[in-house]
Parts: sequence; C-alpha cells; structure tokens
Amino acid sequence: MSREKLTLEEREALRQQTLVKHYTANILTHWFNAAMWLLLLPTGLGILLGKVYPFVPEAWNNLMNQIFGGLAPLIYWHSIIGQVWFFVLIFNVFFGFRKYFIPFAATRMFMDKDDWKWLMIRPFQMFGLKKDKELPPQDAYNGGQKLYSYLVIFGTVVIGVTGLIMTYSESIPTSLQWIIQWAMPLHFLAAGLTFAGVIIHVYMGAIMPEERQAFFSMFNGKVNGLYAYLHHRKWYERKMAEKAAWEDHYNRQLAQSQPPADAEPAPQGGD
Amino acid sequence: MALKKRYAFVIDPARCIDCRACMVACRAEWNTPAGQTRIWVHSDGPRGQFPNLSQTFVPAQCHHCEDPWCVSACPTGATFKRDSDGLVLIDEEACIGCGLCVNACPYQARFRNLETGKADKCSACFHRVEAGEMPACVATCIGGARLFGDLNDPNSTVSQAIAGRAVYRPINDQVNTRPMTLYLSPPDASAVQVSPSPRQPVPAETFWHTVALPVVKAAIALAFGGQALAFIFQLFKGENEYEEA
Repeated sequence: MSREKLTLEEREALRQQTLVKHYTANILTHWFNAAMWLLLLPTGLGILLGKVYPFVPEAWNNLMNQIFGGLAPLIYWHSIIGQVWFFVLIFNVFFGFRKYFIPFAATRMFMDKDDWKWLMIRPFQMFGLKKDKELPPQDAYNGGQKLYSYLVIFGTVVIGVTGLIMTYSESIPTSLQWIIQWAMPLHFLAAGLTFAGVIIHVYMGAIMPEERQAFFSMFNGKVNGLYAYLHHRKWYERKMAEKAAWEDHYNRQLAQSQPPADAEPAPQGGD
Repeated sequence: MALKKRYAFVIDPARCIDCRACMVACRAEWNTPAGQTRIWVHSDGPRGQFPNLSQTFVPAQCHHCEDPWCVSACPTGATFKRDSDGLVLIDEEACIGCGLCVNACPYQARFRNLETGKADKCSACFHRVEAGEMPACVATCIGGARLFGDLNDPNSTVSQAIAGRAVYRPINDQVNTRPMTLYLSPPDASAVQVSPSPRQPVPAETFWHTVALPVVKAAIALAFGGQALAFIFQLFKGENEYEEA
C-alpha cells in the first residue's frame, strides 16, 4: 500500500468519496448466514458426543441437551434450522443468479498473479514481518477474501448436502448405509474448516483497525474512496472508470432528449 | 442412597429346547419386521456319532455390556448405557441409522430396522422391567432357560440362580466387553456359538478419527492462534487515525 504517495489533502478528498461495495441482497444474505451459523454451530457441537469423538467437553453436550430438553429435540432443531439456512441460501442463489451470483463470481472470485503475491506478503505483515514489501494492487476482494469465498461456497454445499442426508437418513436403504456413515465426518470436516476460515474472516473484517470500513460496509454497503484506493486499488480504478462512462452516457442521453434551445450544463453526477 | 441396579441375563442352555417361544414373545412385544429378530437361539448342530448324538441350544441377545463397544461408536450418544440400571438403550428419535454401532458390536446383536431405518436390538423390555415385570422372552420361557434380574440384589432370581454355580461369560482373548449375560453351561458348549468376534471399523469411522478430527482441530487452532497473535501485535502497534480510511 503506497500510503506515502498521498498527501493529507488527497486523503481528505478520497475520504469524501463513497463507493458501493455490497448490494442490499448480499448484505442480507451475509447476516442471515451469520445468524444461522450462530445457531447451528453451538447446537451441532452439542450433538457430537465429546466423550466418544473428542472435540468438545462433555459439559457442552450436557448444556445443549439441557437447553433443548434432550438429544432428540436438539438434533431436531439443528436439522430444522439447518434446512431453513440451506434452502434460503439456495433460494437466494437461484433467483439472484443473474444479477448477484454471476457478477460476484465473475468479478470477485478469480485469482490472478497479484492475488497470489498479496497472499505471500499480507499474512506476514499482520505479524510485523515483510514490512518493506509493497502489496500488489487488489480488486474488490483481496487474495485472502477470494480464497475464503471458495472455502465458504464449498463448505456450504458439503454441509448442506450431508446435513440433508443425515436428516432424511431413514429413507436411505441399509445397502447404501455408507452414505450416512460418510456424511457425518464430512459434515464435521466442512463445518470445521469453514469455521476456521470464519475466525480469520471475523478478525480481519471486524477487529483489525485497517479494515474498519469493510466492517461497516456490511451494514450500509458503502466504503469511502480512501479505503477503496488503499486496499482495493484495481477495484477503485475500475469503479471510477465505470462511473465516468456512466456519467458520460447519461449526459449524452440527457442532451439528446432536451431541445437544443433549452440546453443547460449537464448535471454533475454524484452518488 | 439406594444401590444402583445391575441388570443381567442369566441363561442356562441345558434348559433350552429350542422352542423359540422367546423369539415369538419378543416379536409380539416389539413388532420387529419380518426377517429380523432381536434375540436368537444359537445352535451348532448335533455333535457326536449316531446314535450318541447331543445338541446344545444357546439363547442369546444383546448382553448389555458393562463396556459396550456400540456406545463407544455412536457419534451422538443416541445409544447409551443407562446409569440407573446398566441397560444399553437406543434413543430412536436421536438415531440416524448410520450403523456404526451395528458394526461395532462384536456379538452382532444389533441391526438396522428395515422399517424404521434406526438401530435396533434387545432393550431388555425396559418398559416391562420398569413396571416390575420380566422381559417378554424371560416371562414366556417355561423351561426357565432365560432369567433376568438385578445382580446387586442378593434375593433376585439371577443372584439365586448363579449362587454356588460356575458361570461363563461370552468373552475371549480378543474381546472382553464385560457382557452382562451369564451362562450356566460348561464353557465348551456355549463358547463355540456365542463367542464374540471383533470387526474392523468402517472406512468412514477411521476417517473420523484419523482425518476429520485432527484436521479440524489443527485448522481451528491455527486460525485462532493466528488471529490472537495478530491482535496482540495490533495492541503493540496501535492505530493511526490519519493514515487509515
């Protein structure tokens, strides 16, 4: 991040700019997902018996069993909440495929050389190492965020499918019992790895001071120009070019629609 | 404090004539699907040379072991050993029928119920026992080959039956789950027929212990440790309000 190249005035000017980072539907999906995870993770860990598969202390099994009134209701509610979670996500992806998912996948997920370079530097800088290394410019999402998006999508699919297998295991014949047997550790593995990613996601998104803008953008969808310029230079420049092109197009249309006699200076765009 | 109950089956193969009334009673009690049964009467066929033949019938069911391998295989605790009386039971509502317990039982005492899709086995008719009655198979056995009761109660039928008798537990060098079925026959007769044999864990179960658990533990430890270190570093570094956005 070439911080040294910006004067204080330039910084102030950039701070005044506002860029839309997230659409409303994505923000809602994000917080829906987060809320469901807050319900599903504790209940799921309550189901996995720590005495037999050592992961959580038995006290956690007891706590969850006592809150829900036993193992069977705990499993019941975990699967009910899980199905709501999975079907709402599928619903959103299905109906938002063209306007939300494709643009997201096309512009925010492909890793390029700069992303890999970023990954080789940024994690070390978080611990005060490789300070002299210049970070390559990043798109709307940095290399870490892009990798995390694969983890989340892959994890969500595996968790959802294996969860459905376990929920409807009664209809799986005994000759195909191995499907149920594999669903359990895969469900755990996918949830565990995704959660390991969530830990880093929450830290970098909500706790690190440099990313404070990113945190608030998950509420109002917006970031300021300075943050975009410092952290997501490629995206910032693309957005600026897009904005200029849109304004240009808009002004031309406006000029065409109005009789020349009344021609006034085109309104200056601003969002 | 009242002494906990320690329920056991005591079986005398010498008294069994293979009438299988116990199996009928069990099916009537539990409505087990056709082709499946919770209890058995084993036999290895006639021994010796005609006309000096003999045959032993060995009733068997879940032994409600003190160290039940099925309980140690169930990921959720849907199958459990009841604290108050030692019965090994299945919470059907919680069971997803994965069959890890079926594979884990060295006595093949468990099966996946064809109709419910859940693990199934002898439950020692706990509802009858709680009401002070005997399990259906025991109640129906007119020969007295099947007995059931509390070993902690010296006056119970099982305590009385084994008093002064040599008892045989169906264990061997490979398997000792401390089964709670005591046989009153010479070991050689029943050993052949109810001897346990351990089975290999299914691949998914091995995957649980060798891949899933260690990988998730490592990933979460790494992620949590990493962000904790980064936060400590952040505390040392402080925040620059003019430089950042």
